[in-house]
Amino acid sequence: MSEHIVTRYDDELKDVQRRIAEMGGMAERLVDLSVQALTKLDTVLANSVIADDRRLDQVQRECEELAIMIIARRQPMALDLREVIGAMRISNDLERIGDLAKNNAKRVLALEGQFQSKRFMTGVEHMAELSLAQLKDVLDAYATRDVDQAFEVWKRDAEIDSMYTSLFRELLTYMMEDPRNISLCTHLLFCAKNIERIGDHTTNIAETVHYVVTGEALTQDRPKQDESSLTTVSYENS
Amino acid sequence: MTMNAPTSRGMAEKISIRNLKFFYGENLALKSINLPLYEKKVTAFIGPSGCGKSTLLRVLNRMYDLYPKQRAEGEVLFDGGNILAPGQDLNLLRARVGMVFQKPTPFPMSIYDNIAFGIRLYENISRSEMDDRVEAALTRGALWNEVKDKLNSSGLSLSGGQQQRLCIARSIAVRPEVVLFDEPCSALDPISTSKIEELIDELTADYTIAIVTHNMQQAARVSDYTAFMYLGELIEFDETSKIFTAPGDKRTQDYITGRFG
Repeated sequence: MSEHIVTRYDDELKDVQRRIAEMGGMAERLVDLSVQALTKLDTVLANSVIADDRRLDQVQRECEELAIMIIARRQPMALDLREVIGAMRISNDLERIGDLAKNNAKRVLALEGQFQSKRFMTGVEHMAELSLAQLKDVLDAYATRDVDQAFEVWKRDAEIDSMYTSLFRELLTYMMEDPRNISLCTHLLFCAKNIERIGDHTTNIAETVHYVVTGEALTQDRPKQDESSLTTVSYENS
Repeated sequence: MTMNAPTSRGMAEKISIRNLKFFYGENLALKSINLPLYEKKVTAFIGPSGCGKSTLLRVLNRMYDLYPKQRAEGEVLFDGGNILAPGQDLNLLRARVGMVFQKPTPFPMSIYDNIAFGIRLYENISRSEMDDRVEAALTRGALWNEVKDKLNSSGLSLSGGQQQRLCIARSIAVRPEVVLFDEPCSALDPISTSKIEELIDELTADYTIAIVTHNMQQAARVSDYTAFMYLGELIEFDETSKIFTAPGDKRTQDYITGRFG
């Protein structure tokens, strides 16, 4: 894209994009470390995730202030407007992703000293791997303005949803097998739900990338595969 | 490439511009423009200086006829009748298509007479009827409350913003159907500008409006449709909401985002 007549305007837009890239890197790292902390039940690592999330929140505030300043001073139009609005949305999603990673890290602290069995972790780990890959892809799509890649991410979220549904059933089985599993499995279930929501924020970002590039919202319904809420209670008869 | 504006959107076209070419002597200033002005909507013309937007506006009431060596080809259908046709009554046309200029142009006479002058040209009415018409026009022009106690003062004694509203009141006093605004706020401060914009908003209830403006934010604020012109061509015409969020043509995008080199 050619440059603005006012050079400062370009600098400000680049500044916003740089913060999004920075936030993206931080969010990826927090998700990765929080899952490591969970699978290894490493409280030191968990504490570092909780502390680092504050930095992500701070960059999010800075990014938002910059975006507001651009709107107030430059009255952005067309693709610039979409760029600024997109940055505000994406920074919110990344901030939420950081929060969810932090919540998982807090679960690790709660699990300390409890009955532990790492075989229960496998499912959560797989989910986390997939959602982390999705997050990486969507950040790439944002950086390169690749609508097709964003659309792929958007479609693939269904996989995370179905993994969550099957993990829900699996953990339920462990709990029924032995009541001593209940505490750990419940925590893991919350962690899995957090990861599933990270996936949702990732698809939000994919939708935003689509909007920023094309100017149109992704309107078709995304295939929903999270059926865990229907697992125990039949929806029609309730 | 010149785009042809879509003509049927299920709305009445007050004015339909068809294959309009305009010449200053040998110079082709408008290259085959096709454009609708929808009834009781505001259409903004934007584009860099010299793109032909003011020229286009001046065709709509045949203002160019006042100058030798300027001529238009094509058709401008106003309620179906071609106003470029040789038999067109220009006085009647200009009563039906009012115009407000960049700089306020009050006549050097009283506020009352500024309004009454145009009405007297077309109608012979009693003093009391005239009083009503003047009040109605000044009210419509959002000026009545500020001038009702000094109708006999000179129109030139008003502030710039008030003078411009006086000119708007003057042009709507003769009950036109279309009002053309040629950069009506470029000489006004932001408060007066807001008042004019508020007025334009209110006028859409009764009038079809075309406005030329260099202020892109103003076009975005006041208009329903926007036409982007460049080098005598109509590059893009669409709903204003579309033009300013996701324009179809790269040249439109470059212009409205401040990238034109």
